[in-house]
Amino acid sequence: MDKYSINQFKNGLKLMLDSNPCSILNNEIVKPGKGQVFNRVKFKDLITGKTLIKTFKSGEFLEGADVMELDLQYLYNDGNTWNFMDLHSFEQYSIDGAIVSGVKGYLVEQDICIVTLWNNNPISITPPNHVILEVFDTDPGLKGDTVGTSGKPATMNTGVVLQVPLFVSIGDKVKVDTRINEYVGRA
Amino acid sequence: MIRNILFKKQIIIQKIRQFFREQEVLEVQTPILQNTSTSDVYIDSISLTINADIGIQSTQYLHTSPELEMKKLLAQGSGDIYQICQVFRNNEYGEQNFNEFTLLEYYRLGFDIHQLMADMVNLLRMLGIQDKVYQLSYAQVFSQYANIDILNTDIVSLKIIASKLGLSTDFIWIEDLQMLLFVHLVEPKLKNLPLCFIYDYPKSQSTLAKVRNKVAKRFELYLNGVEVANGYDELQTKDEYQQVFICENNKRKQFSKLISQIDVSFLSKLSKPLPQCTGVAIGINRLLTQINEIKI
Repeated sequence: MDKYSINQFKNGLKLMLDSNPCSILNNEIVKPGKGQVFNRVKFKDLITGKTLIKTFKSGEFLEGADVMELDLQYLYNDGNTWNFMDLHSFEQYSIDGAIVSGVKGYLVEQDICIVTLWNNNPISITPPNHVILEVFDTDPGLKGDTVGTSGKPATMNTGVVLQVPLFVSIGDKVKVDTRINEYVGRA
Repeated sequence: MIRNILFKKQIIIQKIRQFFREQEVLEVQTPILQNTSTSDVYIDSISLTINADIGIQSTQYLHTSPELEMKKLLAQGSGDIYQICQVFRNNEYGEQNFNEFTLLEYYRLGFDIHQLMADMVNLLRMLGIQDKVYQLSYAQVFSQYANIDILNTDIVSLKIIASKLGLSTDFIWIEDLQMLLFVHLVEPKLKNLPLCFIYDYPKSQSTLAKVRNKVAKRFELYLNGVEVANGYDELQTKDEYQQVFICENNKRKQFSKLISQIDVSFLSKLSKPLPQCTGVAIGINRLLTQINEIKI
């Protein structure tokens, strides 16, 4: 695999750090008053999803990570595996429940998700920023009260729970921002 | 919008001038073109070729700081002085680092670093910075934020700590490791202390500051986690300066960097030592950004 010097670091570059593949979020040059230049680099660990901050000295090298991102369509779930398909090659990918667990509540059949592969194995799934979910359960709706309240919890058909306005009732379709788990509007 | 920003900048500069006028600190201007490049290991001068067309070509350097020129004035009996000027440094790039920036440099006779820090607080108050003042020694911040006894830990042990954190250990000198760990472990925490002075540095980071009781009498000012100023209890004798210049040049040699000529015109002015004084360099652009929360 290629090696990258700190001077070549740019946002989005995928590198190996502590034997996990990571993506660079931010690379900031810091220079102590009378000292040499360091780079403070913010990474996202692509397996754990955690953000890491490391400091490097100018001229250091890191190994690149063999990471690929594919747009795949979510097909269906059969017990422990979630099945996706590449719409160009029609190749199918069966993905283990452990990798899906964090985003399970946002997977809607036919939606296109970004699947990250490391050494050709899926390591994470990013659902679309907005998905349409159906309200499975919530307290009965109250009419008229739309301002000044924080809403009520609602369980979606996929199992995810989020706050919705009081007028939303069971069976409604709502638009959800998957990045912050928030109700955006009625679909 | 631009007029608004320029206006704010003008007000701040006027207040700085007023502050020094009230304290009878004289404003000076010193030459920007220098015959020698800086000897600072990690600062690079920008060089220029001048007078080529009239047959007396020579290489000169834009000053990286007005420090030595101002010390020449101090040595000749100028008394308290300050200067606001553009300085030029090569190989600086980033959100906080530029090839050209504005520096306020000032010297107070008879002050120690604690008196100078108190004086700076008065200046910051006048410029509208009202935050609580934190003053912590270098050893304190390391112990508090990194649990490291930085003054009593040798290079081998620091390398072990760095390697456990997954950081580079490829350093020849202990000061580089101290700075790496500072930048990695301490500096991000300083964002929580909006107005913070850090003082008494390890003697390996003394540069042009006096060493007393095993620590270098230096301080740095951090505003919202951004280093804004660097102050010293200044060395006074010719021999001390000469020793630092030679030592820094030896380090530059190991990095295959441009070796600076010893600044003989400076040393020749020190036949009589500098008066006891402390001096500080303040990055004006960084200061303005912190005051106005806008990019200047």
